[in-house]
Amino acid sequence: MKKIIIVTLLTAFPLLMSAGGPWVQKKGKSYFKLSEWAVVFDQHFTSSGLLDPNVTTGVFNTFLYGEYGVTDQYTILLNSAVFSRTYVNNLVSGTTGNIIAPGGALNYFGDTDIGIKRSIGKSNRYPLAATVVLGLPTGKSSGGVGGNLQTGDGEFNQLVQLDVGHGFQSFGKNSSYYAAYLGFNHRTKGFSEEIRYGLEGGIAFFDSKTWLIARIAGVESLKNGLTAEDSMSTSIFANNTEFTSFSLELNQYLTQKIGISLGFAGAFRGEIIAAAPSYSFGVFLDLTK
Amino acid sequence: MKKIALLLIVLSYMSACVKDDIVDDRVDPVLRITNPIDSLTVDSNFQLKALYLDEVGSEQSVALNWETSNSNVLTIDNSGLVTGVQKGNAMAIVRYVSEGIDVADTNFVQVDSTIVVQTAPAEKNGTVQTTSSYPLSGSYSLKEVSGGLELSLGSDYTADNSLPGLYIYLSNNNTTTQFAMEIGPVTVFTGAHTYFIPGAGINDYTYILYYCKPFNVKVGDGLIN
Repeated sequence: MKKIIIVTLLTAFPLLMSAGGPWVQKKGKSYFKLSEWAVVFDQHFTSSGLLDPNVTTGVFNTFLYGEYGVTDQYTILLNSAVFSRTYVNNLVSGTTGNIIAPGGALNYFGDTDIGIKRSIGKSNRYPLAATVVLGLPTGKSSGGVGGNLQTGDGEFNQLVQLDVGHGFQSFGKNSSYYAAYLGFNHRTKGFSEEIRYGLEGGIAFFDSKTWLIARIAGVESLKNGLTAEDSMSTSIFANNTEFTSFSLELNQYLTQKIGISLGFAGAFRGEIIAAAPSYSFGVFLDLTK
Repeated sequence: MKKIALLLIVLSYMSACVKDDIVDDRVDPVLRITNPIDSLTVDSNFQLKALYLDEVGSEQSVALNWETSNSNVLTIDNSGLVTGVQKGNAMAIVRYVSEGIDVADTNFVQVDSTIVVQTAPAEKNGTVQTTSSYPLSGSYSLKEVSGGLELSLGSDYTADNSLPGLYIYLSNNNTTTQFAMEIGPVTVFTGAHTYFIPGAGINDYTYILYYCKPFNVKVGDGLIN
């Protein structure tokens, strides 16, 4: 999730790191997903929340996501951008055809989140979980000719999050759920701290072989970090990012354990963030059954 | 399944190639006398200089035609050297004509027996303003000082501090920094402050530009007139 918020001036609207909700894995059970996430944008939300154009920029991340139940109470989490490509187009004169500003691309690792989720509630009806996520700066925070290409923000952050949810049956044997979370993200190297929140609901069809999940997610910056007055770093551009986004995700089991996932996300509002929809697709391996 | 996943990933990255974004950077060609004079004494001379800027605001060395409106008062040679002949008023004219281009500039000169050469007022004032949704506003003065120009932003100046790499330029094209003179990074975001610009002349540039340099995003500008 973090890499979405960092990647350049850029960024779009997150597919949540966790599969969502307060549910932890049973001991020895696991879930893995290899996915591709992409956004290409030629405008962005500015600091005033309005849209301004920018040179076309693309971010493509290959994520490896995993959950593993260490015990019935604790689940460890991994979300790593094992490969990240960001590029910016050439800026070319419409009069002379000459390149005004050369574009470029950066291929590298992205950032990595590792975390642990613990079930802390006693209610089976409304389970509650606490999650701690460490954001590791495994990406590159400055690349390309102008230093404006990034696959990571270069900072180590710590996210503490509470999740609550409720699962129920719908449409006969099909499962459904809704969940909410609230988190606090402490960032280093001059980045502002953040409040993160989200709501999501999922509904299953066809004997729970098909899942449709809708999410609303948001980040509110405390705006207590460095500004351009304090730092000339280009990565600080991704500081004070805010957004409220919506996303849809379709998961289809092809076998008992293997399935595919398609996702789409966009934003209602934002500040210092890409203004374009992001898309994802992936393959998951569900070893929880 | 693995093959499908790999294929999708490969297809995704194949679409992530660096392409071209076209910017409409055309401006009207300009011919400008950069050191105009008010007056000249009889039998003295002065070397006028002119600057030709093409359709993207780039300075070009071209063959210029210098003319006088009244050779009984003022003569001028092919290099722009003007000579006072007798008391009166006359116009020094510089012109460049090429395919599809016809641009000129003039300098009204008073020739007298006692007046010495006086250069035009060497200070210009105006405002800078945002052309984006990033806040930027304020008054400025640009004046000639020893060795260059001094650009002073007024106490009413304010700029957005959320952009990294905000730079200030002087340019003859307000759509690009390609041929602009980079003054330097913006380090003051509110209130009065001053930049020294070595080697620049008061008539060399048409715009003050504010750009987010790393991301090539124009923030604002100010017309120099």
